Amino acid sequence: MNKKEGIDKLINEALSSVDNVSRAEPKPYLLTRIHARMNRSTESVWEKAGWFIARPAVAFTGLCMLILINLTVVVFNSRSEASVASAEQAAQTQSDEFSYTVATIYDIENNQP
Amino acid sequence: MNQPELVLLLQQGDESAFKKLVDEWQDMVYNTAVSIVQNADDADDITQEVFIQVYQSISSFKGESKFSTWLYKVTLSKALDHEKKKKRKKRFAFVQILFGNHDDEQLHPVEFDHPGIQLEKKQRANELFRALKQIPDKQRIAFTLHKLEGQSYQEIAQIMNTSLYAVESLMGRAKNSLKKVLNKYYLDHEK
Repeated sequence: MNKKEGIDKLINEALSSVDNVSRAEPKPYLLTRIHARMNRSTESVWEKAGWFIARPAVAFTGLCMLILINLTVVVFNSRSEASVASAEQAAQTQSDEFSYTVATIYDIENNQP
Repeated sequence: MNQPELVLLLQQGDESAFKKLVDEWQDMVYNTAVSIVQNADDADDITQEVFIQVYQSISSFKGESKFSTWLYKVTLSKALDHEKKKKRKKRFAFVQILFGNHDDEQLHPVEFDHPGIQLEKKQRANELFRALKQIPDKQRIAFTLHKLEGQSYQEIAQIMNTSLYAVESLMGRAKNSLKKVLNKYYLDHEK
């Protein structure tokens, strides 16, 4: 018998190995266990939430959302910081230009008329 | 008690009818589940879930198909859902390794040993079950229902909501896929 014939024989044996298979039996007291399970509270809300979040599609979407929110916050903050800084700088320049007085300790302590 | 009577009593919430249902159909449900998930404990869990599902949703059974067909559909759906959950767990097991908390059985499941296979055929059967895991779901279900459950092509067509021709085609493709997988396995293990 050559190699191919040997392998073909093994394949046919494997395919026919489940012919006339006997029935397997579940563990005893199945009905009792079913009743116990029905009475027991099923998965808690947290378990269900965990399973939902663990689904690859949900997890991936959540991750993308998180990254997007972070990027939006970073971009928004950098823009507003730049505009606040430039506004402050303009106001300071303007006040410097129109200021004729110099603040001294004396002015601060004796500010009453 | 015939099937329509049993279904009617179940729909009325009769406890003795539920006991009769479990007694009568537990072997069928368990054997189908064990052939799909290839794990005795998981199959036992699925069997319980199937009967709970039947108890809770028997009112939706309209009697348009045979009760056994409906029960097969529920069982297959639960078994496939269970497999999906297990695959998801397996993916997360890789993450758990990083924290030093891993379950070896999840990553490297033990070889399935069907309790109903004759001793002299066990090795070949184990190889066949391993190959079954590597073929598409529809082919696997058709092959399992026909070869292990002894269902006719006509019954399989009803269970899978498809035509007789489609089942014949699925069976042909299942055998070819299994032959390819087994051929590769035997060539690799001969070296």
